[in-house]
Amino acid sequence: MPEVYTLSQTPVTSHSFNADRSQLAVSLNSNDAQILTRQGSEWVPTVTLSEHDKLITSIDWAPNSNRIVTCSQDRNAYVWQEQPDLETGKLIWKPTLVLLRINRAATHVRWSPKEDKFAVASGARAIAICSFDPENNWWVSKLLKKPIRSTVLSVDWHPNNVLLAAGSADMKARVFSAYIKEVDERPSPTVWGSKLPFNTICGEYSSPAGGWVHAVGFSPSGDVLAFASHDSSISIVYPNGQAIHTIRLPSLPLVSLTWTSEDSIVAAGHDCRPLVFSGSEGGWQEAGTLDDTTSPRSAEPRSGFGPSGSVGRLRTGAFATFRDADTRGQSAIAGSASPTADTKLLTIHQNTITEVRPYEYSGGNITKVSTSGVDGMLVIWDVNAVVALTGRLGGAHLR
Amino acid sequence: MDNSFRKIDIDIYDEDALRDDEIYETDPRDPAEVLEDAKQRQGAVRSLLAKNDIPGALTVVLENAPYGANVEEAKMITLQSLLTILNTTKSTEITGVVKSLSPDTQDTLMKYIYKGMAMPGWGDISGSVLLGWHEKLTEVAGVGCIVRTMTDRRIV
Repeated sequence: MPEVYTLSQTPVTSHSFNADRSQLAVSLNSNDAQILTRQGSEWVPTVTLSEHDKLITSIDWAPNSNRIVTCSQDRNAYVWQEQPDLETGKLIWKPTLVLLRINRAATHVRWSPKEDKFAVASGARAIAICSFDPENNWWVSKLLKKPIRSTVLSVDWHPNNVLLAAGSADMKARVFSAYIKEVDERPSPTVWGSKLPFNTICGEYSSPAGGWVHAVGFSPSGDVLAFASHDSSISIVYPNGQAIHTIRLPSLPLVSLTWTSEDSIVAAGHDCRPLVFSGSEGGWQEAGTLDDTTSPRSAEPRSGFGPSGSVGRLRTGAFATFRDADTRGQSAIAGSASPTADTKLLTIHQNTITEVRPYEYSGGNITKVSTSGVDGMLVIWDVNAVVALTGRLGGAHLR
Repeated sequence: MDNSFRKIDIDIYDEDALRDDEIYETDPRDPAEVLEDAKQRQGAVRSLLAKNDIPGALTVVLENAPYGANVEEAKMITLQSLLTILNTTKSTEITGVVKSLSPDTQDTLMKYIYKGMAMPGWGDISGSVLLGWHEKLTEVAGVGCIVRTMTDRRIV
């Protein structure tokens, strides 16, 4: 069974665990980042990281160097490092400002695999590649600009620490070289190219029906790229054989994805449940979902959505909630601590899933993933517990 | 109040403005060619309808349907042919017909249903027929199909 935690009554914009998974950094849709510590079966807020003066959009916790990077709509990013306080000697999180040189909101941030660089996506049609300058003791950035035409929504690093994938609101997913001479060794050739000076474009792929590219991800080997876009589709790109596999979903768009092995992906978004895709260079398909909605109503998809929504359903669900509020003064706000049975979705998450991240590894593969949602929940899923989707997808291939 | 300033095209003062052809791939075909093609399809649809081959007629009219700028006439001819098909199909047959279409064709069909609903009273548009098709198409292709209609800039 998935582990379910309710972190807050506000949306969880972004979440990231520390290396041993005992602590969790979250942005609860506010200007502050919270560090939560696991105590038994609960997450207790222990530290507040306040420095940003607008909404924090993304957080990433580097597992080896134990540094946290946060970025925000205030166009800044901070690197937080745990250091002893000069007076008391207690460990506190010290922020370092990063000179991003962008004039629009920062949208997404990720440490590189070696944790010596990080990439900040932004609304300024640019991605800031930041590296540490020991002489001046600050983080400096170099901007990837061309040929980005709109806001960059997500970034993901290739395992070689040099290549970077980016998904953008100009409906394209791209692979760039983020090679920084002072930091990186000369990378060995990959399927994406061999000569890789900064800002080399190693690949550019359009979303199939004009949707913003919400999520990008390299496979564990780095040889395959997946991207999910707002036209309810997910595409998997093999640069070698020029093969692009696109799956058009019958459901709402995905906004976040993570590879769990070389041949499977977990992705989630507006449909409130994580979907599993599996395949290889020959072809990809939807394998099912991790959210087993086995309940008396399981044959029905989410209330209010999907095929079986008939006129009869108006008597229940959201309609009844508003009618009761109107005629009898009763209120049951969806998403509150005790939603009535009628307004509760069949899925575990009660609203859009904002982020999917790896949680537990075994060998080279990921065995558990965590998701955070607009409903304030954090859920940890076993990626092998795949359930076929009901109905016409029942015959889908299962791994 | 003077609100003519709202009509000013501010994009022409921005050297870096995003143009339509950067957002989507424009149709490589010449507008005249597209128009000729649409007219030919109109004939093909009539003969397929005479044989009562509705999936065939829909595929003919929806494959490589005109999109983008400068092909308004071709778009209207295509819409006209499509409406003829939709209006002549028996409501009990719709689900079967929709299931037999390819996912691409389903997406294009959804675009035309929305185009039709946006032009009430034009030609022989019937709201109830369009809503009937919309319901059946959503049952088969899911809400993802509607999402793609909304995001796709290749407007029919």
